[in-house]
Amino acid sequence: MLNPETISFEALGFRAGLEVHHQIKSTRKLFCHCKPNLRRDSPDYLFERKFRPVLGEMGDFDEGMLIEYEKGYRVIYHAYTEQVCLYEQDEQPPFWPDMEAIYSGYELAQWLNCSALVDVGIVARKQYLDGSITTGFQRTMIVARDGWVEVNNKKIRISNLTVEEDAARKIKTENSGRTVYYNLDRLGIPLVEVITDHRDCTNVTDLRKLAEIIGLTLRISGIGMTGIGSVRQDVNISIQKGDRVEIKGVQDLSQFENMTRREAVRQDMLIKIAQMLRERKLTKAELEHTYYDITEEFTSGLIPEGLSVMAIRIPKFAGILGLEIQPGKDFGQDVFEKASLISGILTQHMFHSDELSNDAQRRKLSSLPFFMPLMHESLDKNIRKLLNLSNRDAYCIALGKNTWIIHALKKIIERLKYALDGVPQETRRLLPDGNSEFLRVIHGKDRLYPDTDTPALELDLRKIESFKGKVGKRPWDLEQEFQQKYNLSFSHLQSLVHENRLEDFLILVNNYNQKPTIIYSFLVETLKSLRRKGVNTSHIGVKEIMEILQQAALNKLSVYDLVQEKYHHKQEVYF
Amino acid sequence: MNAAEKKRDPTGYKGDLRERLIREKIGVWSIVRLERGHSIYEGVVLPRSEHTAEDYLVIKVDTGYNIGVKITQECKITEIGFQKGDYHLPQIAVKTRKELPNISLLGTGGTVASRLDYRTGSVLPAFTPEELFSAVPELMNICNLSPKKIYSILSENFKPEYWVKTAEAILDEFHNGAVGVIVGHGTDTMAFTASALSFFFKQLAAPIVIVGSQRSSDRPSSDGPMNIINASTIAGYADLAEVVVCMHGNTSDTYNLIHRGTRVRKMHSSRRDAFKTISDIPLGMIDSKRNITFFKNDVKHRNNIQDTYLDTKIDPKVAILNSYPGCNPDILNSIIDIGYHGVVILGTGLGHVPSDFFPALERAQEEEIPVCIVVDPLFGFTNLRVYETGRDMLALGVIEGANMLPSAAYAKMIWSLGHTRNIKEVKEILTTNIAGEITDREVNSGYLVLQGIEENIGKITNTLDPKPREHYWGEQVEKSEK
Repeated sequence: MLNPETISFEALGFRAGLEVHHQIKSTRKLFCHCKPNLRRDSPDYLFERKFRPVLGEMGDFDEGMLIEYEKGYRVIYHAYTEQVCLYEQDEQPPFWPDMEAIYSGYELAQWLNCSALVDVGIVARKQYLDGSITTGFQRTMIVARDGWVEVNNKKIRISNLTVEEDAARKIKTENSGRTVYYNLDRLGIPLVEVITDHRDCTNVTDLRKLAEIIGLTLRISGIGMTGIGSVRQDVNISIQKGDRVEIKGVQDLSQFENMTRREAVRQDMLIKIAQMLRERKLTKAELEHTYYDITEEFTSGLIPEGLSVMAIRIPKFAGILGLEIQPGKDFGQDVFEKASLISGILTQHMFHSDELSNDAQRRKLSSLPFFMPLMHESLDKNIRKLLNLSNRDAYCIALGKNTWIIHALKKIIERLKYALDGVPQETRRLLPDGNSEFLRVIHGKDRLYPDTDTPALELDLRKIESFKGKVGKRPWDLEQEFQQKYNLSFSHLQSLVHENRLEDFLILVNNYNQKPTIIYSFLVETLKSLRRKGVNTSHIGVKEIMEILQQAALNKLSVYDLVQEKYHHKQEVYF
Repeated sequence: MNAAEKKRDPTGYKGDLRERLIREKIGVWSIVRLERGHSIYEGVVLPRSEHTAEDYLVIKVDTGYNIGVKITQECKITEIGFQKGDYHLPQIAVKTRKELPNISLLGTGGTVASRLDYRTGSVLPAFTPEELFSAVPELMNICNLSPKKIYSILSENFKPEYWVKTAEAILDEFHNGAVGVIVGHGTDTMAFTASALSFFFKQLAAPIVIVGSQRSSDRPSSDGPMNIINASTIAGYADLAEVVVCMHGNTSDTYNLIHRGTRVRKMHSSRRDAFKTISDIPLGMIDSKRNITFFKNDVKHRNNIQDTYLDTKIDPKVAILNSYPGCNPDILNSIIDIGYHGVVILGTGLGHVPSDFFPALERAQEEEIPVCIVVDPLFGFTNLRVYETGRDMLALGVIEGANMLPSAAYAKMIWSLGHTRNIKEVKEILTTNIAGEITDREVNSGYLVLQGIEENIGKITNTLDPKPREHYWGEQVEKSEK
């Protein structure tokens, strides 16, 4: 059993970076005047669309787009009249952008010490064919480059800061993933994206702190929207000899450690597999795109009417497909997940020869894959004979309609050819147990081209310069201040920011000379307990707090008791 | 490459910056390193769009973004490489299949096939219709498509003389064996061309399908591919012999409508379902499985293409005027002064103009210049017998356009005048239906313009395609039923 806990990040040459997407506080969406908030009730109307890849500016197709297109999505949209207009419906060109939101991006750039600020806003299109954006592309503009933040006394560089529109949120999929439902409420909401240099973070503790620091900066500056769903993180991870893999949708910072370890382990295993294949002298040419129909090999009645079973030869892979590359998941499964996402054939209906073993990972599942109970020694022997395979070779079979299976097996061969090269650059999705699965090929720069619907935006450079004056104490400076002056920790700082009481804390401690621990306790714990009793604590400001403290001192009561008494009478219940 | 061999062209750059680029031998596609204070940028120099400020250099950086950098004295620009980008299409091997119908696609420009132009920073007509063809490989399983570019004009710049050339090109294609012809056209004036062609073609024996895209083909969400797939199906398989417009029927990518060319109008500036049949139901529709259904029973059927001929005599000296509160009769007078041969007026309500206009109408009558009235509301018939204004107008010789759309009346007037200037004959032609531009009745479903507040409207807007079809890139597509 693989144990991610025992890996050494340093030995692996671990490197990581973040892409933090945070909603900008605004009264409208970036390119239209719809309300920038989310809806949970049933939609006002529905419509459906299909998407196709197009050529990039420099004259080529992006491979990632072609793969997405091969899936042949039918996309169904849920729309709400207040949050969706003809712009989100891709039925009209964009309105003039919300300049306030764009300037918020520049203000954030000053907080993040960005030295290169873009003078002319050029909006670009980044293509997505998964249906998450009705136009098929996201409008995004780069605002600044070359900034930095301080994490645990190390400088982590911010390579890019962009302002862009958010995508729609996925509701569900049907039909083997070929029909997708999206909620358009979120589409078009202005986001700021902070991208860190992925060479700078060398361990997961710093990585997590980096995310926290960036999040704090967005809150302290007042630029970021607060609330559930307003922040999303993607993590870029690579190890030495590996390649950059992006893991999308890491919402919870507590998932970081587990996820990062499991990804480092996966990459390490892929590199080991490449080495093993080289030792076995495998060449890419040996993996042929030939698909063998072996439906006859199965007893009649076992294979559903209208479906077939097809096989591919996988020379020299015996024992490799079954290698565990993430806890509970073998290499074969990782390959199957990609093929399944693209072709629509379920991983349930795929099987590889290493799974005959009693140790096969999928034997532990509560519902076994289709072929597992069917496969036995003599059937295996027959198949090997048919496919002319030796004991050092492997094979893979899949069940389904002819054209679909061929498509799936084709993707498997393609992915296995790449096994010789080690770690493919990919975008992956985080799974609940901390493992990841293929989501799409990483987006290349060929997917970006200028947006011809928006003219170049001339920005007020003096205004941008003036934002420097608005920059307050940054999280790492505050962290130091908290440690040295108040004897409080980083997590205390976080709680205060989270409760929106940092400013009050600093005033009470510095201007009124109150004891930090007492103030902290009041602002975070006491107020929280009041809220639980239904008291509206937003009316309690610095003035009220000082009164309470003075009264408590005067009457020799504990602050807590005083507060209980004071607000017992004034109980307003808010839900 | 030594300095003497270096050929660098700073395309689109102007003024001092251009001078500097020329001096330092830096041009478009040069890979440069820009240093300005603490900021360093590296990227490929792109052609500058005409509307960007003059002292900005646009470069494409490694992440793919385009960045505009203001070049000042203190900036340092160094060329560190050169990378020319060719915007060309992947090669497609086209195979002709005997069992598929031969269709011609005539490209006239517009956003049916388009590309990015750095000069204006906007979308312009593409080089060839093949761009659309290479993006829609499904077409290879529907028909043997011969694309030909006859123009590259934005449809707002279309002129009556282009209608004639288009008609001639279409007839040539029929003579060369095409069983249907598709015309790629900009959506702005598609209806005008459709009307004109309806009058030009006599004994039309096969379909002429006009198609375009509301979202240009350089977008993943473009309606173009679905439109051209449907248009090809109609052109190749429908038992139809009319000039029709084929565009999306609603905001979804589910079905297209088949509109009679003389009764269709672009009713929204940007929506994909902008095209509607006015004062009638559409001829038919084609669904997501490419099944064609006809709704009207007066659809003309295929016949012997040898019998089809053209009558393209035109006189383009026709103007369209609107009637509105305070409009000055001098406008009509000026038109007559300049030498126009005919006028179409969109009259308010049932077709009225202000009584101030009467002297000008009288003059037109005297000079035998036909004035054809159509209704400004677009839907409904003219009727100048109901009110006094109308009766006075009739006495002044105006011609009632019945329920012709302005685009149809305009094209028809141009065609009529091409044959005769005799006012009686012109009137006769204008008031006699040729290709559906005038109907003898209007049914209720011809004006179901809903407001979105109707009871149960949600049932329509919340209904999806009941029989959706999944599509696969390049896979064999089922032949649709006729």
